[in-house]
Amino acid sequence: MKTTSIKKLMVAMTAAATLGTAGTSHAEDPIRIGGLYILSGSAATYGEFAQKGINLAVEEINSSGGILGRQVEMVYEDSQGKASVAIQAARKLVYSEGVDALVGLDSSGVAQGMVPTMPELQKPLIITHAATPDVTGNLCNPFTYRISVNVAQNMKAAALVAAETDATNWTTIGPDYAFGHQSWEFFGNYLKDIKPDVNLMSETNFPRFGAEDFTPFIDRVMDSDAEGVLISVWGGDLVNFIRQANTRGFFEKDLEVMFTVGAATEVLSALGDEMPEGVHLSTRYWYEAYDNAVNDRFVKAYIDAYGTPPSYNAEGAYAAIYAYKKAMETAGTTEGPAVAKALSGMSLEAPNGTVTFREGDHQAMVSPNWGVSGPMHPEHGIRTLTNLQIFDGEKVARTIEETGCKL
Amino acid sequence: MKTKVLMAILAVVIAGLIAVPWIASYFYVFIFTEILILGLFAASFNLIFGYTGMLSFGHAAFFGIGSYATALVLIHLEWPFLACLLVSMGASALLALMIGFLSVRLNEVYFAMLTLAFGMMVFAIAYQWRSVTNGSDGLAGFTLGSFGLGLDLTLANPSVYYHVVLAIVAIASVVLYVICRSSFGMILRAIRQNPERVSFAGLNVRTYRLVAFVIAGTFAGLAGGLIAPFLRVASPELLHWSMSAEPILMAILGGTGYFLGPFIGSAAFVLLETWITTYTESWMLVLGIILAMMVIFFRKGLLGTAIDWWMEVKK
Repeated sequence: MKTTSIKKLMVAMTAAATLGTAGTSHAEDPIRIGGLYILSGSAATYGEFAQKGINLAVEEINSSGGILGRQVEMVYEDSQGKASVAIQAARKLVYSEGVDALVGLDSSGVAQGMVPTMPELQKPLIITHAATPDVTGNLCNPFTYRISVNVAQNMKAAALVAAETDATNWTTIGPDYAFGHQSWEFFGNYLKDIKPDVNLMSETNFPRFGAEDFTPFIDRVMDSDAEGVLISVWGGDLVNFIRQANTRGFFEKDLEVMFTVGAATEVLSALGDEMPEGVHLSTRYWYEAYDNAVNDRFVKAYIDAYGTPPSYNAEGAYAAIYAYKKAMETAGTTEGPAVAKALSGMSLEAPNGTVTFREGDHQAMVSPNWGVSGPMHPEHGIRTLTNLQIFDGEKVARTIEETGCKL
Repeated sequence: MKTKVLMAILAVVIAGLIAVPWIASYFYVFIFTEILILGLFAASFNLIFGYTGMLSFGHAAFFGIGSYATALVLIHLEWPFLACLLVSMGASALLALMIGFLSVRLNEVYFAMLTLAFGMMVFAIAYQWRSVTNGSDGLAGFTLGSFGLGLDLTLANPSVYYHVVLAIVAIASVVLYVICRSSFGMILRAIRQNPERVSFAGLNVRTYRLVAFVIAGTFAGLAGGLIAPFLRVASPELLHWSMSAEPILMAILGGTGYFLGPFIGSAAFVLLETWITTYTESWMLVLGIILAMMVIFFRKGLLGTAIDWWMEVKK
């Protein structure tokens, strides 16, 4: 009597525990790729744009035969911009949803926490947005790659732009986490190298990520001796920041203003002509900067599908799916370690030209774009970029020794 | 007879928990690790809430300080895991003594507000002291070394870590249970029901409340020490007041009147969160509805209601 009820209970428990698990993979099953993006809160547009880019790539790939003859299927999880949430979500994607590979990560803080756990999961991760140099530096590992520009590359380019201006006293306004602090650190070091007489002010401004009110920081910079200001605020925060800066007359002041991710089309679309003219804007990919067939097709398809020009985040996510296609076809399998190995040193044709994952640190050699905001685009409803500079991805990258990565 | 059946059920549950890595899909190893750690956190909270009647809104301070202590020791000193946990317990006990000393003199809403204020102060320190705590990003990238006591365990293996957590949580729960059943625990319950009467009996209520507060904080610190290596990050969210709300929700969900109630609450909370977020992002809405139903219709929580029902049926 007793044993049978215990047996029943065990059966019920096992059944409950195995609920929601994925079956073993067969050749005809779709290849599953897990996407980890911010899908809620003030930066949720970034997750949304990444999904748009991915969906486009998945549709194109599936309609032309898939990968290794199998269809591709996406599974998304919300990272909420928190490392602990993202690590749990990655475990869920790998062990419960049975994904073969991972793409994503919008936040440097999340990337720093999650990347060290990738070797345990034994699945490749292509970072499409998060920019902290650490993940292709001292935290690098065989499973982690990045297809987007990192802080070191972009700040080297920023320092080259800043050195051309007359400003000597520089300060920063950046979000109070890894990205804001590292942007300022790398920018300062590079600028000091190029132009030793600059003064990096000790008075810096790091508002909380997701802060609603930036006016105290805007006022502080306006009241200081700063002649140049590096602003690494991004996403919904940047939209709020620029609106508040406009009402304060921040842009009328004689300041060299550099927005390190200001030419994100998410931000430009939200602001329209509220984005001032004549400020330095950067992006990891500007849709009009590249004259090649892949880019022409991507931009056209994107605008046809969604009505707005693609952002760097959409481009990175789009290219990452094609990177997996090529790597899985080279490896001839979807096994995590084999795909991760195939990515190393691999080149592919992406919208921003030929992209190569460097063997030494797994950072893609992609080019930061810097320009100056110009007149409104007649069709796209966003500012254009004038004086566009496309920096050579390899030249602005750190050397392998400088990254501290040992693979 | 009934006690025997209850003991048998408990034995089956424990056997089931031990067997999780072999009988359930791999993902549930993580889920059950989280349930056990948060269950210990909620059980430590229930010592002051369910037993002593003190509603603290700052319990995450001890959980969080425990996680930071373990992370810091792993990063800078690379001590064995057991030593990290002792440091976590020591740090949270010290913090609980300081916060408790200033808080337990007040009652009800004033006590709740004061613990909330201290909790947010601890959060603010962790958030802003960038050179030590790495600010809003928290501490990550630490590696797990040896376990201690000369045991050869690969803690980085999730199944091994699960069993380590299970053993430590089981031992800690037994200790907590013994405390609850002791004469000290009886006095705590008497304080909840009628503090004036306890004090007329010649006992110093404030001292008892402080000791309970420190014990609860110490076990929350132990839970925190277990969560940092599991999440691989000690971040300010673990100290935030919204984290303090979790043990309250779990205790109410499971049943505050029973020792195992918070563990049941933790299991319900984590499993529901996992299943519901697969289908919708608005898991908080579903949780809100469930909690409202529990408070209106099932005051005794899941465990209390189940036991009541069973007692009725088996009469």
